[in-house]
Amino acid sequence: MTALRRRTPSLRADARRTALCLLASLFLSAGVFAADRKPEPVPMPKEEALRLGERIYREGILPSGEPVMAIVQEDIPVDGTMFSCTSCHMRGGLGSNEGRISTLPTNGDSLYRPYEDTPVPMTTVEKNFKKFRAAHRRPAYTDETLAEAIRLGTDPAGRRLDPTMPCYQMNDRDMAILVSYLKVLSSETPPGVTPTNIRFATVIAGDVAPEDRDAMILPLEAYVRERNSRSRGLQRRVRMRASMEGLNLALRDVSLARWELRGPPGTWRAQLEEYYRKEPVFAMLGGIGYGDWRPVHDFCENHRIPCVFPITDFPVISESDWYTIYLSKGIYQEGEAAARYLRREVERVPETTIVHVYRDTPGGRALAAGFEETWREMGLPSPECRVLRGDEPVTGKLLRSLPAKGAHAVLLLWAGPEAAQALEEIAADPARPGKVFLSYSLWKRNPGTVPDKARDYTFLTYPYRLPREEGPYGNMARAWLAAKKVPLNDRRIATRTYSLIGVMSQAFGKMRQNIYRDNFIDSISVLPDLLYPDYERLSFGPGQRYASKGCYIVQLTHGAVPEIVKKSDWVIH
Amino acid sequence: MAKGRFVIGVLLLGALAAPIWGSRAQAAEKPKKTVEKYFVPDVVLVNQDGTKIPLKKFLETDRPVMLDFIYGTCTTICPVLSASFVNLQNRLGTDSRKIRLVSISIDPENDSPKVMKEYMKRYRARSGWDFLSGTRSDIDRVMYAFNAYIANKMDHYPLTLIRYPGDGRWVRIDGLMSASELMEEYRKVSGK
Ligand code: HEC
Repeated sequence: MTALRRRTPSLRADARRTALCLLASLFLSAGVFAADRKPEPVPMPKEEALRLGERIYREGILPSGEPVMAIVQEDIPVDGTMFSCTSCHMRGGLGSNEGRISTLPTNGDSLYRPYEDTPVPMTTVEKNFKKFRAAHRRPAYTDETLAEAIRLGTDPAGRRLDPTMPCYQMNDRDMAILVSYLKVLSSETPPGVTPTNIRFATVIAGDVAPEDRDAMILPLEAYVRERNSRSRGLQRRVRMRASMEGLNLALRDVSLARWELRGPPGTWRAQLEEYYRKEPVFAMLGGIGYGDWRPVHDFCENHRIPCVFPITDFPVISESDWYTIYLSKGIYQEGEAAARYLRREVERVPETTIVHVYRDTPGGRALAAGFEETWREMGLPSPECRVLRGDEPVTGKLLRSLPAKGAHAVLLLWAGPEAAQALEEIAADPARPGKVFLSYSLWKRNPGTVPDKARDYTFLTYPYRLPREEGPYGNMARAWLAAKKVPLNDRRIATRTYSLIGVMSQAFGKMRQNIYRDNFIDSISVLPDLLYPDYERLSFGPGQRYASKGCYIVQLTHGAVPEIVKKSDWVIH
Repeated sequence: MAKGRFVIGVLLLGALAAPIWGSRAQAAEKPKKTVEKYFVPDVVLVNQDGTKIPLKKFLETDRPVMLDFIYGTCTTICPVLSASFVNLQNRLGTDSRKIRLVSISIDPENDSPKVMKEYMKRYRARSGWDFLSGTRSDIDRVMYAFNAYIANKMDHYPLTLIRYPGDGRWVRIDGLMSASELMEEYRKVSGK
């Protein structure tokens, strides 16, 4: 390795950056320039200012509707449509730590108090943290010095901020709006949190078999018990130390309420509101329901309540909703995988014809939506489609009547094991479709009932890790669950709840004393990829709402207990 | 950087897991430059349009290449890397096709063509800049080949690799660059 050249002395770069930032500000304020001028009082009702401030922070859009302009890394011009404060400081404003670059907190509570050493570092982590803090020591911000940091990149101690913090060009009015937002960002104790306790709820949405309900709730309750006995031990130890920087999350008790929803889903919203009014919660953990999760999802979205890993086959599919984090897109994801797989098939064999058949049930519709929406996104024309009534039998005659004929024909058959007989009947037809696709979940998770004769031309969507690779991941979970006497069944409810507990306790560790809802979600977003039971991989990121992204396309071997053989990658592009 | 391959599913019950502030080096580090020889693996990736891209052929062209590692939902580092790519394209104007800009995903599961396309749109990327994703194992091979393996995407660090078409050498730049620094690199690699 050869070092090519010495770096420009940083003084020169600094001077250039200051000049550029000053110049930018100068243009903007049309001549009247004072770096430390006071932001104007916010000229509008508080709620309006907060809404507009949030838009600057999250979307980089000024009240005028124009993107905010800035200069980053000394001399790179950027605008707010590319990225905004939230991209670096996170939605909750507690900062992020990616590789070698740490962004500092920008929530009101942190900015308007001095940034000092931690009093008594206890662990190695805290000792490192102390070093970090010592290098960033500064007095509390005021509205004026905060405006100066955002415009010119200097903090109230006179330290030049890292050039990765952009210099923003904002007039006084817009600055006042942004500052009023930063002041309240992650600054008030959220509902459900007291100095000694954090309250959570778990939702049982409608009729759920007691066995399934227990598989979700028993592990959660066991976790809460274990955690509380641990936190009480910690509390005793910590009470003896006079100096603690705010109460750490690990020191609070956790309580978990069961919110059971009864009657038709149309009435659930009112029931949720009533529960929430009586005992507000910080967040929802897990939950279970057999139907559409939408009523709970919307409730959480409206109240900005985080909800992590509910057990549902029917999550809400959205690219912008924020507060519910699902394990996967549920049954929808199987339709999506089929589309991605077939797209490559169509590229390879252009004369492929596809016929799409789905049963008019929630599962059939979810698969159809997953397939159709993905197909359309890829710019492909919708294939011929046939909808089966809820109780319409699938017969050999029906399959033969479809326009899916011959080796290049593909039949998507989103129906259950009641179609087994018909698949067997057409197996020997020369004109039968070359490939038939079924859904593992809709086929009631029982591949043994796919007729032996049909297996050579039948493909299944399979949204889990392959059984033969599950060993180490599943065993660990099963041992923990067995110790807690949790029943296990083929619906993977207990093991998925185990994953929830893992994610949650890691996120709690990252939150420390900053118990704010957005920070809870942000803390999950920055988790590393996790190899837990059931899914091949769980991954996270700001705005990523479905932790498992994959689904195999598989085939079955012959015999009474067929082996599952993958025909695709876990994630198909 | 890489602390381990990944986190296996052990429950950290009530653990005080690593807080946001780790023991990381200070920011404001200045970019470090070295000259390297890399062997590009013969993998097929997919770009923002869903088109398959044979990587070796794509990189070993007679045009200069600049390559970085990013992902669609990345914080702090990617915004700056991508802003500097698009700024370079803008500065070069009609010349922008004379250099091939390549961003390779380190979060290939989430970075589908759709996610990548939206990302490029947000930055108003012009043609001549491709964002590539692929299978986890192919992406791992690429990261290894460039001595840039990152097990955990939150341990991501800024890196820009520049290929000189003449002798196929790569200049490796660790750290974030200003627009003028990147422009200077462009001048060198394009012989202007
Ligand atoms: C590209 C990433 C990035 C973006 C976008 C960004 N920041 Fe920063 N910001 C940083 C970094 C990195 C630091 C830490 C600098 C240092 O430690 O020297 C920082 C520091 C700050 C500080 C100083 C905090 C302190 O305690 O001294 C404030 C205030 C701040 N940012 C506000 C904002 C606001 C408001 C926005 C949006 C208008 C914003 N930042 C957008 C990266 C960013």
